[in-house]
Parts: sequence; C-alpha cells; structure tokens
Amino acid sequence: MEKVTILLKQHVGKPDKPLVEVGQRVKRGELIAEPVGLGANIHTSLTGTVEDITDDAIIIDADEDQCKEDFVHIPDSDDYLTDIENAGIVGAGGAGFPTSVKLSNKIPGGYLIANAAECEPLLCHNTQVEERYADQIVRGMKYLLEITDAKVGYIAVKKIHHAAVLALGKACKNEPKIQVKFLTNMYPAGDERVIVRQLLGVVLKPGELPIKAHAIIQNTETIKRVAEAIELRKPFIDKDITLDGRIKERSTVFENVPIGLPAKKFIDAAGGYINPHGDITVGGPFTGHTGKESTPVTKTTGAFLVAMPYPQVHKKIGLLECECGGQEPRLREIAKKMGSEVVAFQRCKRMVLVNGRYRCSLPGICPGQADAVLAMKKKGAESILTGTCQD
Amino acid sequence: MSISKETAMDHLKDPAVLCCRAEGGITLQASNLEDPDLFPDYEDSGLLELPDDVLNIEQVLGATLKDTTDALLPLTPDMVDNIQSPSDDSNDDSDKDDSEDNSTDDTADNANSDASVATSTDQSAQNAAQTVTPVITSGTTSNGVIKIDIAKGEGIHLEVPTNASTTSIPNQSNQKVVNDSTTENAVANNNDNNNDSADNNATADTDDNNPDEVQTKVVRELERDHFKITEVKFGDKTEINGTTLTIRTPKDLCKEAVETEKIVQDMTLEIITPDDYDKYSETIMDVQPIATKAEGEIGSGVTRVLDGAVFVLTGTDENGIQIGEFGSSEGEMNKNIMWNRPGSPDKGDIMIKAQVTIDAGRNMERIGPLSSHKAADIITQEIREALKKADDSLIVNKEKLVQKRHPNQKRVVIVKEIMGQGAMHDNLIMPVEPVGTLGAKPNVDLGNLPIMLSPLEVLDGGIHALTCIGPASKETSRHYWREPMVLEAMNDEDIDLVGVLFVGSPQANTEKFYVSKRLGMTIEAMDVDGAIVTTEGFGNNHIDFASHLEEIGKRGVPVVGMTYSAVQGQLVVGNKYMDAMVDNNKSAQGIENEIFENNTLCPEDAIRAMAMLETKMAGGKIEKPERKWNPNVKENNIKVIEKHDNIKIEEEPNEQSLPKSKKRIEIYEKE
Repeated sequence: MEKVTILLKQHVGKPDKPLVEVGQRVKRGELIAEPVGLGANIHTSLTGTVEDITDDAIIIDADEDQCKEDFVHIPDSDDYLTDIENAGIVGAGGAGFPTSVKLSNKIPGGYLIANAAECEPLLCHNTQVEERYADQIVRGMKYLLEITDAKVGYIAVKKIHHAAVLALGKACKNEPKIQVKFLTNMYPAGDERVIVRQLLGVVLKPGELPIKAHAIIQNTETIKRVAEAIELRKPFIDKDITLDGRIKERSTVFENVPIGLPAKKFIDAAGGYINPHGDITVGGPFTGHTGKESTPVTKTTGAFLVAMPYPQVHKKIGLLECECGGQEPRLREIAKKMGSEVVAFQRCKRMVLVNGRYRCSLPGICPGQADAVLAMKKKGAESILTGTCQD
Repeated sequence: MSISKETAMDHLKDPAVLCCRAEGGITLQASNLEDPDLFPDYEDSGLLELPDDVLNIEQVLGATLKDTTDALLPLTPDMVDNIQSPSDDSNDDSDKDDSEDNSTDDTADNANSDASVATSTDQSAQNAAQTVTPVITSGTTSNGVIKIDIAKGEGIHLEVPTNASTTSIPNQSNQKVVNDSTTENAVANNNDNNNDSADNNATADTDDNNPDEVQTKVVRELERDHFKITEVKFGDKTEINGTTLTIRTPKDLCKEAVETEKIVQDMTLEIITPDDYDKYSETIMDVQPIATKAEGEIGSGVTRVLDGAVFVLTGTDENGIQIGEFGSSEGEMNKNIMWNRPGSPDKGDIMIKAQVTIDAGRNMERIGPLSSHKAADIITQEIREALKKADDSLIVNKEKLVQKRHPNQKRVVIVKEIMGQGAMHDNLIMPVEPVGTLGAKPNVDLGNLPIMLSPLEVLDGGIHALTCIGPASKETSRHYWREPMVLEAMNDEDIDLVGVLFVGSPQANTEKFYVSKRLGMTIEAMDVDGAIVTTEGFGNNHIDFASHLEEIGKRGVPVVGMTYSAVQGQLVVGNKYMDAMVDNNKSAQGIENEIFENNTLCPEDAIRAMAMLETKMAGGKIEKPERKWNPNVKENNIKVIEKHDNIKIEEEPNEQSLPKSKKRIEIYEKE
C-alpha cells in the first residue's frame, strides 16, 4: 500500500531503540521501539512488513488491507499510569513530553488543567475533537484527577470556540470536580504560563513549570489518548491533524490518521495544492517548522499548512525574536527565502536566558519594541521580520 | 461574543452577563456584555446560571465593574458600582443622550393597560415598548394640525386638548405575538394593535378626517356562479345535465389531447368518487377547479364553476418515474392527500383524474410538465365549453367577490413568490380561461420579474400552477383559486390591499438577486405601508425569499414572511428584516412528509400573518422565537390573537387525521 515512516524520536528525550528487524511482520498497535532513558514507547500504526530501519526511523511497507478497529492491545494492568506509559503517550500539543512522567507528580489539592485553547491560528482539529468527543475528554480528565490527586479539573478554552465550549460544558455539567474556564482570545493563550496566570492568578517565572503553581496541564488530544489507552487498551498510534493554507479544501480536519503517513497524502486528500504554493509548515504558523511532502505525521504533529510562495524582499532586514513565535533559526530561514539580507538581530526585551534557552517573562503581554527597532535601524535595517504575536 | 450598542438597546431588560474577562474599574459598555440570545445554550450546557438578583443590561451600561471578573458571570448588585437607574435623569453617559430619559419604568407599564386613563380628558397615550431607541419627536403646528412623529419609544406622555383632535385612543394591549418560523427571530410584545384601525396610534400621521370611519372604494366585482355536480360519467358527448357531468368517451378525448403534444405518449382519464379514495394514484401534479368565463375577463365579470368535481393531473414518464421533484405523493389517495386544504380536493369531491405518460427522462425538463398540463387542458377545455352552455337554472349559488380599497387605511401588498426554476417549477400567468393554459405567459419566460395581479384575478384562476416541489408545500392551481392570504387581506377593513405581486424564483443566485432588487424598487415606488411575502416549497427558494424580505424591509416597509419552515425547511439564510415570520407547517414532526398540500398556507396562517403585519405597522415588535422549532409558538400566537380579537380561529387538521401512508410508515413515522 504505502510506506509508513515511524520516527524514532517523537518525544522529548533521546530517539527510541528499535525492537524489530528488517523483514519482520508487524501488526497495527505492536510495540516496535522503546525508550532509552526519557522517552516513550513507539508502536506501528499500520500492519505490514518492516522494510528498513535507519538511525531516525523505522520504515514499514504497509499491507493493502488494514482494519483501523483492529490493533494489538497494550498489556493489561490495573494502574492507569502504567497504561499511559505502555501506550507511549506524549504531549500531543507539540511538546512531546512523556505523559506518564508528567503525571507521576502528585498534586494534592492542585489543579489539573485541560488545555483546549487551540492556540495557533488556522489549527482547528482540537476544537473539532472537543465538540465531538467532549465526553471522552471529560472521562480522561477524571482518570487524570485520580492519578494526580488534583482537587479540581479545569478545561481552559477560548470562548470564541462556541460549539466546543457548549459541548464541553454539557459534558462536565454533572461533574462536580470539572469546570470550564475561559482564556482570553489571543495568541499565545495556550502557553502553559499564560494559562496558569489567567486561570490561577499565579505568574510563573520564565522556565518555571506549572507544577510550581500546583498545576498540571495536558492538551485535550493527549487526554483523549489517555482515555483510549485506559478504556480501549489502544496505544498512541493515531493522530488528529489540521490541513490548511493553499490547498483546495481549506480547514480540513483529519481525525485519527495513522502516525507515519506523509504530508503529501493529506494535502492530496484535501483536494491538492492551490498553485502557486510555497513551503509546507509542520505545526502552527507561529511555532511550526518547515517540512517536506515526505514529512511523516508524528505524535506531536498538529498540522500541515501550505504557505504561499515567499514574497521577494530584496532589502536589508532586522530580525526580532519572541518566545511565542518563530525562533532565530526559522526567522533566518524565512529571511533567506525572501532574498533579504539580515543586518541585525534583536530579542524582545522580555526574553531572558534560562538554562540556555531564551524565555519570555510575561507571555501574551507584549511590551513596546522601540528600543529594538531603533537598534536595528541603526545597523541599517530597512524592514523587520518578527514572529511576535501582539501588535 | 460581545454585543453591539444596537443589540444592547434591543435587550435592555435582559440580564447582564460579561462576555469576556473584564478588568476591575472599567465602565461597562455593550462590548463587555454577552448576547442574551446565547443564554439558553449556555444555561443548557451548565455554563451559566442566572441568579434572581442579576442586573439587567440597562442597569449596567455606564456602571463601574468593581473587580476583575471572568467571562460568563452574571452581574449582580454587589459586583457593580454606580448602577444605572433607567428613570434617573442624571445620566452622564455622553453616548446616550435623550434616549435613556425616555426609557420605561413600572408606572408606564401599569398605565398602559388602563383603559380609563386612556379615555379621560387628558388623553394620555402611554406606550411601553421594550425597545428604546432614540426617540425623535418633533412637534409642529400648522394649519391646526399637530404632527408628531415617533420612530419608536416608550413611556411617552402626550397631552392634547380634547377639542383639538378627534384621534381616538388605541385600545392598547400587551399582546405577545411571536415570530413562529423556527429560524427566525423576533417578537413581540407591546404592540398597539388596536381594533379600530392601524392608523390610530402614535405612529400615524394624523391625517385629517375621521379615521374611525372606514372609507371604502369598490374597484371591481366578480361573480362566481356555482353549478352543483353529484355525478360524473363517461358518455357520447361532453355535457351537463342537471347535476350530472358527462364526459365524452375517454379513449377518443384522450387521443385528441395526446396528439396536441409531441412528447406526451399516453393519457388516461379516470373518475374517482369518494368510494374510490383508497385507490392508488401516481403523484398529483395539480388540482384545478373546472371553471369558465361567462362574462368578461379573468378577475371581473362572471365565472361559472363546478362544485363537487375537480380536475386532477398526475403523471409519470414512460419508465414510471414520477413527474415531481423532492418527493411525490403517489399511493392510496386517502392516505396521501390532506383533504380540504385550499389547494386539495375536498373530501367528497369527485376527481376527474388524468394520468399522463411522457417520453422517458423528460420529467425533469421544462417541456415535460408543461406538455402534460397543456394536453390535459384540452380535456378541461371541453368541459368548460359544456359549462358555458349549461342552463342558467342549474346555478345553485351566485357568489359575489368584491375588491375594495380602503383609502384611509395602511396600504398593504401581498408578494407571492412562485417557483420559476424551470422544469415543473413554473406557472402560467393570466390565461384566457380560469386556470387554463391558452393565452397565459409562463413566469420563467417573463424573467421571473414581478407581475401585479388584482386579488380577483388571483381568485379567478389567473394562475395555472405547474409547480411541483415538495408535495406537502406546493401551491396548486386550486390553491390560488382559494388563496387564504388574499381572501383575508382583501376582506380586512383595517388595511388597504393594493394588489398581489407575483415574483418568480429563478434557479441561479445571480438571477434571484436581480429579481428581488426589481421587487424592492417596485415596492419603493408603490409607497406601501406594509407587505406580506409568501413562498411555497423550501430550500433553494428561501434564498430569494430572504432577499425579498430584505429588499422590502430595508426600505422601511414593515414586512412579514410566510413559508413552510419548521424542522426540515429551516431557513438557510436570514437577515434582520426577517423578524416577523409565519410558519405554514402543519405536520406533527415539522417535516415534508409528502402528504399532498399538508404544509400549505391556510386561513389560520393568514390570520397570524395579518396580526403580525398590523403589529409591525403599528410600531410593535414581534418577539423572537425559540431557538428550535417548537409548535407551541404557533399555538400561543393563535391564543393571543383569539383573545385580542375575540374570535375563534379554526385550526386545520394534519396528517395525523389520515391513515398512515406507506412513506409515513416506512420513512417518516417508523415505529
């Protein structure tokens, strides 16, 4: 049928170690790689024959006939956390942090927060899933409450996603410990620290995790996958994604697509390109990265967005980096593709260095940029390219 | 979602709920508030609970929010400083000048229904409309006429010396009329729906002479001479003897008819007496009165008509495919025909039923249905000739239809949207004989543009309907012959019916808007005070139906829409002028259940539409309907009107009065 490319690194940590050999038959749901240190189990999403194993990926030649309902179940256990670990669940919102590790923290009296922000522009698969599977998400939250000892579960959602709000409200109407809470309609409302600030009134310092505020935040799809693992014994082998941009059928959501299938398959399924078109962005416009037609779906893939061709701007430009937008390497890539000469680079004044990474001290509440702009102008910048979120 | 200032003005008495997180210390504005229309959804989802002490919107606009507060929290007195008191004159909000000063308070409500106040020497007309929008009052005196224009208002106190005006005081009532079409809104409330005349309220221009007296001008008259038929049989010659109609040997007659139309292959004729009602019939394309002109042209003079016998046209193509679209009513007649609708055979009628067979595949082409109708009309024409010759002594009843104008009353036009998409969706306008084909022009060929008919032309067979959409909502030729809205409006002394404007519904959207723009301009030039727009079917035609209402409404002409809507026919488009809608649905489930004529416009609908229009023309508002179709809205409206006008409105039975058809058993009402 087709090649399935299952990357060995779909999570925070090192690449997994393959457990299969070339030529081996594998069944959908079968464990094919396990973590080395921090990481998560990886299962094959389709039934077929292992065709190749590289440093990065296991390539499977999938059979013609596939049954999506049929998969190898994760081992029986009476411990939810073990189920989550066995199922190889990682943060599906993009971070890819192993969920079982995150949930091994007990937060008695704390807050379990479902991140239903659907923060990035264009992305809509989470909202759609929330509308359709609100009950499953609420059940998943109940498991998480039990695992973490949290006293209350909040579903953090933007009010603008009206239908999702209503569906989630209905689903948790009779759940005394679960409530819907509203985020402001801005980017990056789905940032963990923004959620903690808006829902709990606690301002986390750059680099601090929500746990500091007795909170654990999980993306709604992650929670849905937790419910699947516990109830259906299903490993994390399918993903929900959004297709948008210069494709014929804009805003197309594909639910439960097998991990490992390439971007082009979904671009075609959404009617194909609108020409001319530019790069494929994997993930949201702000935090995604440039991909190719062959880029496979992973546990953290949120979207394939087809851009327009880069405008050609033969000017000297300055780059302004912000934590919530494209980082320096991506800004440089874009500048290059636009034919611009980068003459200056500045970080937003909110950016502070924490453990080798620049973080924002107050995400979503943006300062004026006069200093940075003047500094870049001084160096001869005629235009500025920035990934900042606010005006 | 936050609301605009205009929306806030429409909801001043509704609870104030924050739409978004709001910072402490801000002055609350419309943009901080949630749309009250969404409350039911939020309450349903458990996201909103409205406490008893929740403030209403007019109390919080301009007030100060004490602390930063989350979205969807109802505002209560402890959360807000500087709560606004609507009757308080000291209002420092510069946005709203005099409008707030005129807002209502409790005393206005009380006085409102107090008739003795109203008739006392200090004639005070108090109007407690819920909406307060800027009130424009300009008082000018010239030539002894006091002219007061009030766009909308409440709590208005007028004092006029008794000898200076003969204006009678409206019999005010706090009736609620609710827009009863599902997707539409609106509603009503304090209308000054008065019994005398719509002119006599605050919105009227105080014209001059005594408006209590209805002036009447007869435009023209039409006499219908009824011939009673109790038996129909086949014989050598088509003739009427006594109460027996003899039709020439069907073999010969049908052969002649078939020969006139190329694609008609075959035709059979059947006489259906009430004993045969349980027989199978192909889908009914049309039901036609059998009538002929004895004197004058259509719409005036004398028309002869048969009572007790109607012509019924059915048909298929040679492969047995019904000549119909979106449903068909084939089956046992007593299970598939909703008897006694304006467009149906009446229970007891003898049906002269022609069944036409046309070339394969032509059923969805324009020529198919048109040829079927034309061929069948050969037969009807032969009966018409016999009717012309029938002896005067056989006339059992001479009915006089009079078209009157009421020059002092509000001028109202009825706009009937008829199908004009082509194929069977066509209508022949103004034939020579009542419901004939000869001499008529198809509205498709007329570009579907507005064509004016007098009410009597409509009632005298001026429309030969080919239209063949959903069986339950199509208007047959007989429907126009007995059109309830036209009858209701023509006989209503409180309005001045100017005419009935027919506008076709073309297939393409661009043409739809072309047509409705012409309609709007026609309405503008007519300078009418109100309009009722009706349509048949649902779906595609609702696009132009909505556009017609918009084109009329945006010219400041109060307009009411009538259509089958309910569940299946939910409007696909809408606009803010569609705030007074009448749903013609009769079916228990709110669906097109393919029961012939079930969901067509009936007298009960015409009465509701007229009540809504009079309410609107008098400056009242129609309340919004519930979010989902709820048959109780219609029932409540009927009760309100019955109480207000002290009349009894007969409601038509629906399909539940019939034995279940095959389709109802198998599709619509499966058990």
